[in-house]
Amino acid sequence: MSEPGHWFERDPLWFKRAIFYEIHIRGFYDGNDDGSGDFRGLMEKLDYLQWLGIDCIWLLPMYASPLRDGGYDIADFFSIHPDYGTVEDFRAYVEAAHQRGMRVIADLVMNHTSSDHPWFREARSSRDSPKRDWYVWSDTDDTWPEARVIFVDTEPSNWTWDPAAGQYFWHRFFSHQPDLNYDNPEVQEAMLNVLRFWLDLGIDGFRLDAVPYLYERDGTNGENLPETHEYLRRVRAEVDANYADRVLLAEANQWPEDVVEYFGAGDECHMAFHFPVMPRMFMAMRREDALPMLEILERTPAIPEAAQWGLFLRNHDELTLEMVTDEERDYMYAEYAKDPRMKINVGIRRRLAPLLDNARDDAELMHAILFSLPGSPVLYYGDEIGMGDNVYLGDRDGVRTPMQWTGDRNGGFSRADFARLYLPPLMDPVYGFQAINVEAQLRTPYSFLRWLHRFIALRKGHPVFGLGTYEPLRPGNTRIFAHVRRYDEDVILCVHNLARSAQAVELDLSAFEGLVPEEMLGRSRFPRIGKLPYLLTLAPRGFFWFQLRADE
Amino acid sequence: MSEADVRALLDGLEERALIEYVTTQRWFGSKAREVTHATVVDAAFVRTVEPLLATVLVELRFQPGTHESYQLLLGLRRAAEGWGEGVIAQLGEWTVYDAPADPTLARELVHSIRSGRHRAAGEGTFEFHTVEGSADLGRELREARPIPTEQSNTSLVFDEELILKAFRRLEPGINPELELLRFLTARGFPNIAALGGWYAYRGRPMDATLGVLQRFVPGAQDGWELALEELAQAPDRFVGRLRRLGEVTGAMHTALASDGSDPNFSPEDPSTEALGLLTATIDEEIEQIWVRLPDHPALAPIAGRGEEVRDRLRLLSHVGTAGRVIRNHGDYHLGQTLWAAGDWVILDFEGEPARSISERRRKRSPLRDVAGMLRSFAYAASAARILRGVEPPEGWEERAREEFVGGYLDTVDSALVPSGRAAVERLLAVFELEKAVYELRYELNSRPDWVEIPVAGIERLLGRPLE
Repeated sequence: MSEPGHWFERDPLWFKRAIFYEIHIRGFYDGNDDGSGDFRGLMEKLDYLQWLGIDCIWLLPMYASPLRDGGYDIADFFSIHPDYGTVEDFRAYVEAAHQRGMRVIADLVMNHTSSDHPWFREARSSRDSPKRDWYVWSDTDDTWPEARVIFVDTEPSNWTWDPAAGQYFWHRFFSHQPDLNYDNPEVQEAMLNVLRFWLDLGIDGFRLDAVPYLYERDGTNGENLPETHEYLRRVRAEVDANYADRVLLAEANQWPEDVVEYFGAGDECHMAFHFPVMPRMFMAMRREDALPMLEILERTPAIPEAAQWGLFLRNHDELTLEMVTDEERDYMYAEYAKDPRMKINVGIRRRLAPLLDNARDDAELMHAILFSLPGSPVLYYGDEIGMGDNVYLGDRDGVRTPMQWTGDRNGGFSRADFARLYLPPLMDPVYGFQAINVEAQLRTPYSFLRWLHRFIALRKGHPVFGLGTYEPLRPGNTRIFAHVRRYDEDVILCVHNLARSAQAVELDLSAFEGLVPEEMLGRSRFPRIGKLPYLLTLAPRGFFWFQLRADE
Repeated sequence: MSEADVRALLDGLEERALIEYVTTQRWFGSKAREVTHATVVDAAFVRTVEPLLATVLVELRFQPGTHESYQLLLGLRRAAEGWGEGVIAQLGEWTVYDAPADPTLARELVHSIRSGRHRAAGEGTFEFHTVEGSADLGRELREARPIPTEQSNTSLVFDEELILKAFRRLEPGINPELELLRFLTARGFPNIAALGGWYAYRGRPMDATLGVLQRFVPGAQDGWELALEELAQAPDRFVGRLRRLGEVTGAMHTALASDGSDPNFSPEDPSTEALGLLTATIDEEIEQIWVRLPDHPALAPIAGRGEEVRDRLRLLSHVGTAGRVIRNHGDYHLGQTLWAAGDWVILDFEGEPARSISERRRKRSPLRDVAGMLRSFAYAASAARILRGVEPPEGWEERAREEFVGGYLDTVDSALVPSGRAAVERLLAVFELEKAVYELRYELNSRPDWVEIPVAGIERLLGRPLE
């Protein structure tokens, strides 16, 4: 195997200006006609992602796995699932992405393995097995009652009896996903070896799945423990010492004040998802009120200079409602999950377009808000064309259906027989592949895909969105969500109308007196900012982004 | 002088002087932008006896938060010598100057390539390489003559035998010029100036190609100049040369598509959305330009016709099978050719300098090159009028196209292009439109007097009946 090429300038903060794109490998493109997406297929679609303006591809788990949890149940950390290809295919894919100026990160589950993993098989075989202590065992099932059960729909307890082992094993997720025992130094070292293996192949980083749960301690809920942070610091130190310009992205579905702990003092993860802001964006849209967003952003502590939030509208999981109040959760269920089938665990399993009732204006506004917030946007495959979901498929498969490339057979996803496809593509008249596909939207100048392409280019032209300050304005009209972003002399004013009706708003822009707002999409100049409140009128669900410029 | 000494010396270069020097150079591409900072990223001495030669990477920062990297070639002589050419700064007892102006230092770059030596720098290495089988480059060099017309690079000719091109604006990754020349040289493609060697920087800040050394083609005439000259004197003689140019172009594409085992060159089938991506990109370019089309009499034939152009593009883009995508020249026009010893030589595989390396390295239909050359014929006809006051004979451009395309299609591996002349013409029209729109933007920004050329090209594409 050849050494990975070096296709980027030194840029330790690339992730702060990047647009991420999340891919379900199985569902993206089938390169070998077996009904399942693979690396060969991904390779063919790199030009598309480059055109779209993507900076970093995030791959859902790609490792050998029995796939009882979409690959988050890893059976071998050092091999690629045979459906997807080989380690060599992966290496070639990363190289090809790099040559196009795109980076690649992949999911990694440190917390647990599949029960099929040879480590676990060995561990359960005997109390004397050298691997026994790599997992967490107990003779009873009542230890650590403070730890909540996450998959409440399927798991009665975090302990499951293993007849072969003659003990209970600990699992924070499914009962086929035993937690690794991070108190064991061998486990700590084994996981570092996993990281090194992929980093040596050229991968640009990891999305660290389920990081809050690495350790267990008496009298705690087993989340965000100091020991977990200590181990993450060790991982970061290893990366910093040997691998330049890589990123660790934490998945910690927690309140902002807890999540910021995962940045440490700039010595843990580079990025972390901002989970709580996401449901509040949907809430704000439905209530036509900026308050839910303003509140959560206010509650979000400052983060280290070299750290960044990952922001998203939807992803491969349910729209999680863990980080909202009970009242808010009831509201969200009532508004967005009218069919009880749409609920799963503590969340709603739907894609973006159906959540927004397929309203184009709403989709544009949501993306505008997402792109205007301090953080790096993470798009979910298919949402760029407004794909729908299939609530009749099990678990979260409904939001993981095949990417819709064309209006041809199988939506252009695969040339395999329909019956062989890993999941049926959507075929309904509204969201089906004949109505919604990449080919048609590429050909249609004002399609959502083409709009998003232009919008991504606009955001990327202004590093301020990734690097700048966030300064909320609080206009009297609370249907307006408005703020200023500032980086050096680049000053951007973002004004979004959450209402379904036209709105007028007066903004206090006295701090920018004398500057001239230039609307960023059409480059029209608006009246100069004076001493008086600045009056703007916005169309229903409309928004303006202005660059505030000194008048030449 | 040690590495540390170089850095110490160069650290003494005042930022202002550095900015002043770089921003006033012809090869500095971003003259419209305000440079806020200039920093030396890495440097090494290539010549360690006086006069000294340093290769230097500098980074220029702009408002707001973007940057570009450049290669500097710095000479250092004792101030007492009173060196006066291309002086950048006086640093204590040293005069720092632009090294290509000094033949001794220019020759040093070639010596370094010949000997394949590496120079360690602070965070990487400046590496010099010789192409295998170029041992006969080892002659004593005498003259070093800069080519004054060079725009974005610095080119030096040695004894009418070798030519060294130093890239100024640097981007991470291999420069396609090196990549394509190396590929074609290794396969013995005859119609190029063969690669003799190159130099590059490898290190933590970036890997970048810094320069290529090629054999100089003596007694050659620039294809563009030849076109203008013969348009005035013997227009049909030039047309007569174009069949051969088509053949050479076809052979070049066949050669570039000849290695299925090299992932960087293996021909590929375009993906299902390839054409869609291409037309979407051109469509957005058209939209942007027409939104801001200024009021100018030369633009009258296309003013207000943006939607018509977009409709035409949409109609053209129904091509059917589009042949294959391969590595190609990327910036193909008459100015990239030489007529020498009765045959054509193709130069300048760098691609369009305004595009990123990753874009320039992308595999595309070879017809994109063909379209570039066809647009060049239109430019030649108009330039004869604008520059020389010569009216080309009726139908000259059509005959030129016919000869060139005929020679091309007879030669090129037919699997690379769409099947059937009608499909070829259709895809050519898409690329010609892309090129003409690109020209329109360029001319609007830099040569308003030439705007009529792309305007005429676009008008003609609109008027041409669809087959």
